[in-house]
Amino acid sequence: MSSANLGTKNAPQTDKATQRKWDNAAKAFDFMTGIGPDKRWGPYKSLMLANMNADADILFLALGTGLDIQFFPPQRNIQAIDISPKMLENAQARIDQYDGSINAQTMDVHQMSFEAEQFDQVFTSCTFCSVPNPIGGLKALYQVMKPGADLYMFEHTGSKHYPFKLMMDLMTPLTRKVGPDMNRTTIDNVQQAGFKIQQINNVYLDIVKIIHATKPE
Amino acid sequence: MEDRPYFIVGDLIANLSVGILSAIACAALFGTGSNMFFAMIVGMLVGMVLAMVLGAALFFRYFGAMEVMIPTSLTGMIAGMIVSMWATMGAVSTSGAIFLGALSAALSLIITYRLQAKISGIQEGV
Repeated sequence: MSSANLGTKNAPQTDKATQRKWDNAAKAFDFMTGIGPDKRWGPYKSLMLANMNADADILFLALGTGLDIQFFPPQRNIQAIDISPKMLENAQARIDQYDGSINAQTMDVHQMSFEAEQFDQVFTSCTFCSVPNPIGGLKALYQVMKPGADLYMFEHTGSKHYPFKLMMDLMTPLTRKVGPDMNRTTIDNVQQAGFKIQQINNVYLDIVKIIHATKPE
Repeated sequence: MEDRPYFIVGDLIANLSVGILSAIACAALFGTGSNMFFAMIVGMLVGMVLAMVLGAALFFRYFGAMEVMIPTSLTGMIAGMIVSMWATMGAVSTSGAIFLGALSAALSLIITYRLQAKISGIQEGV
């Protein structure tokens, strides 16, 4: 296997502006998301993460403060990355408590240092609302996945339904300053990156969804 | 569709709060003789901004992010629009604004819950 030089053409070493944004968000992240969103989405995240196979090489993208670790099935061997070192600092206690192995590293999805075709499964959770170049990030994931590998994404996206589409387009310039975009076309982006969509499970309207895609053989 | 009582009550509290506050704010902002179209646009924006601010300050943490943000923004938009336009034709009393705000919350929740029932679930091989 060759070492992968991943990411988009001319991608920066690490996107410092994005890193700074999420470092700033790290302090209040658990306070804002640790009760309501976790309870709302917990059953669905558990459902998605139950697909983590015991014998698979697994990449979990954007571990954040590790709130999702509680939904990981036990005894898995997981590589996890996040662009924010502050987030990963806050995740350490949850990583230590996990009944299995999590190797967490600070890494930009556009500049991953993994081998090409290394992973059998990749999982994301509320990640591609925030990656500045989503198609570039997905193409980078594509490169580190084995042919036939699975991509599972728990993501919020824009809506196709009015008036929600209009509302989310109006909100995005505001929300982007402190966190995620609200109007991403993630399903189209996944397809543009070369993946084949297998299944979409709409969790809340057509906004919060679980996407299962595969890298073609 | 959401069937957990904690979240159903949370949705009601969040949407009623945003609807009523947006309506009262817009009733105070506009008076008879204001331009109705201008009032409608500003009212909708006021409602949306109030939904975001109240959501971030109070509701997202306890009741969820998107599931609160989407219906409350719609509630704020509807309440802001109706009350602002109404206020340009004649004064809206506080009790009237509360009623219209609550009505907007109910309408928004019915729309989002019905749409959720219709489009949630699994689609294969899109």
